[in-house]
Amino acid sequence: MTTRRSGGSERGAGGAPLCAGGPDLSVRLGPVALEHPLVDASGTFDLLEYARRYDGDYLADFPYAAYVPKTVTADARTGNPAPRVTETASGIINAIGLENPGIDAWIEGLPAWAGLRQPVIVSVGGNEPAQYAAVVAALEAHLAAAPAGSAPRIEGYELNISCPNVSSGLQIGADPAATETVVAACREVTGRLLLAKLTPNVRDVTEIGRAALAAGADGLSLVNTFKALVLDRATLRPFLGNRTGGLCGPAIKPIALRMLAEVAQAFPGVPLVGMGGVMTGLDALEFIACGATAVAVGAANFTAFEAPQRILGELRDELETRGIACVAEARGLALGA
Amino acid sequence: MGDAAAHTIGDHSQWAESSHCRVAGVRHFGAFAAVELIAPRVAGRAAPGQFVMVTVPGGGSLLRRPVSLFAAHGDRIVLLIEARGAGTERLVGLEVGESVDLAGPLGSSFPTAGVTNALLVGGGIGCAPLQYLADELGAAGAGVTAAFGFRDFRAARAAGAFSIDRLWVATEDGSVGRAGTVLHLLAALDVPPGTTVYACGPTPMIAAVQQWTFAEGLRGYVSLEAHMACGTGSCHGCVVDTARGKLRVCSEGPVFRLDEVTP
Repeated sequence: MTTRRSGGSERGAGGAPLCAGGPDLSVRLGPVALEHPLVDASGTFDLLEYARRYDGDYLADFPYAAYVPKTVTADARTGNPAPRVTETASGIINAIGLENPGIDAWIEGLPAWAGLRQPVIVSVGGNEPAQYAAVVAALEAHLAAAPAGSAPRIEGYELNISCPNVSSGLQIGADPAATETVVAACREVTGRLLLAKLTPNVRDVTEIGRAALAAGADGLSLVNTFKALVLDRATLRPFLGNRTGGLCGPAIKPIALRMLAEVAQAFPGVPLVGMGGVMTGLDALEFIACGATAVAVGAANFTAFEAPQRILGELRDELETRGIACVAEARGLALGA
Repeated sequence: MGDAAAHTIGDHSQWAESSHCRVAGVRHFGAFAAVELIAPRVAGRAAPGQFVMVTVPGGGSLLRRPVSLFAAHGDRIVLLIEARGAGTERLVGLEVGESVDLAGPLGSSFPTAGVTNALLVGGGIGCAPLQYLADELGAAGAGVTAAFGFRDFRAARAAGAFSIDRLWVATEDGSVGRAGTVLHLLAALDVPPGTTVYACGPTPMIAAVQQWTFAEGLRGYVSLEAHMACGTGSCHGCVVDTARGKLRVCSEGPVFRLDEVTP
C-alpha cells in the first residue's frame, strides 16, 4: 500500500520546479513541503482507526501528503444528537458537531502516532477567538517542551471557522471582523503555517478570505460544507438530530470550484487548499486548475479504504497523459481570460 | 455464566481494505435476500456480530451499506439484506455471478466462551446476525433458543432464511406465529438460570429486552444499528449513548454489553 513517488525530478534552488522526468507531484504549501497535493479533509479520516484495521504498518504506509486530523477544540465536545449522517443525491449530509476530546486529552494521544513521517496540519475549532488561540498556544507550549520523537511533525494549523453544525461556525466564518480577530489571535502564538478554512455559506468568499489574510493567515482552505436540510421520508420532519447539516460530496464540486477560482483570482500566489467532492484524480486536477496548491479529499474517504491511493494514482495518470510535467504547470489553467 | 474474562466483547484483527467478491448464491424471502459471497479474507477472520461495508454496484450510491454477517463458513459469507431504499434494493437484486466490493469483517463480536444456554432475541432485520451466532453457539454445544419479532407477514418472510431448532416467532399483526412482540414470547419461555441473552433489533425492542433481562437477573449483549457513513471509525456519524459516553457503533460496537447501552 505504498504511495507512488514522483519520477525523480527535483526542485531548483529557488524553489521553482525543474519539471524534469515524469510528472512531479510535489508541491509547497507555504513553508510546508508536500510529496504530492493530496491531503485528507478534516474529520473524514482517522489515522489510528485506519491503523487498527491494517495488517502492516499504517503510519509508514499513510497515503496522504499531510495529515489533517479531526477538529480539536479547547474543551471536550460530545457533538450533536443522532442521527448525524445520511446520503443524499450525489452527496452526503452530516451534523457531527465537532465531537472531540479537547486539546489536553488530544495532546496526551500524540505519542501514539508520533511515528508518522508526513507533516500534520492541525484543525482547530472554538466558540470564540480566545478558544482558538488557546488551542494553538497549548499545542505550541507542548511542542516546545516535548521530548524528541514524542509527537508527530506538526507544521501548521487550519482554523475551522466554518463548521455549519455548531453555532459559532457561521458566526465567525461569515463575519470578516470576527475572522480577523480569530486569525490575529492565533497568529500571535504561532509561527507555523496558518490556514483559515472558509465557509461557502456567505455572499462573497473573497471578503472573508481577505480578512483572514490581512490578519496574518498564510493561506486559505475552501470550502467547508454547505448548510443543508434533509427530511425523513416517512415523517417529513428534519432527519438529522441537529435538524440541519453540512452537505459535501460530488453535489457541491461545481460550486466549490467556482468559489476556489474566485479566491485564486483575488489572491494570486496565496497557498490554497481546495476541496469539495473530490472523488477522482481528474477532480483533484480540476481543483488544481482552479488555483489549488493542495487538494483535500473528504467524502471519498467514506467510500473505500483505498480511495486516497486510487485518487493519487489517477492524478498522476492524468498529468502524464496530458503531458503536464509538474503540478505547478497545471495550477491555475482554468483562471484568467 | 463463565468468568468475566470470557465475556469481554471481542475486538478482532480487522481488515478494512476492499475485497472483490463473487455472488455464489441468492435466496429470496419477500423483500429480503440471503446473498452468499465467496469472500475468503472476510470469512477467515469473521466472528458473529461483526459486519461488512458493501459497495452498491452501479455507482448510484456514494456510501457503502453496513450489513451484518448472517453466516460464515469455509471461504463463504452470507448476508441477509432487506430492501429498504434504492441502495439495498440493488443489493437484494444481486444475481449469481455478479461481484460486489466489500470491506470487513468490521466491529466487535458477540462473546460466546463459556456460554451453556443462550437466548437470542431479534426484531426485524436485526435478527440477521443471530443466525451466525446460533451456528457458533450450537457448534460449541450451547443450548440455543431464539425469539424473533416482526411487524407483519411481509417482514416475517425473513424468518424463512433462518435455521435454528428452537425458533419462536411473533408478529405484531398476528399473521405469523404468536400475536404480539418478542416480549410476549419471552414471557412464555422457560428460561434456565444463567442464560446469556443476545439481542439485536429496533431501539424500542432493545429497551424492552434490556428491562426484561435485568428483571430476570440475567446478563447479555446487544448489537446496535445506526446510520453510518464510513463504517471504519473516522466520521463519528454512528455514535450512541452508553454508560461509557458516546461510542461509535462501527468501531467500539456494534456489540455492546446490554447493561452499558441506554436505548
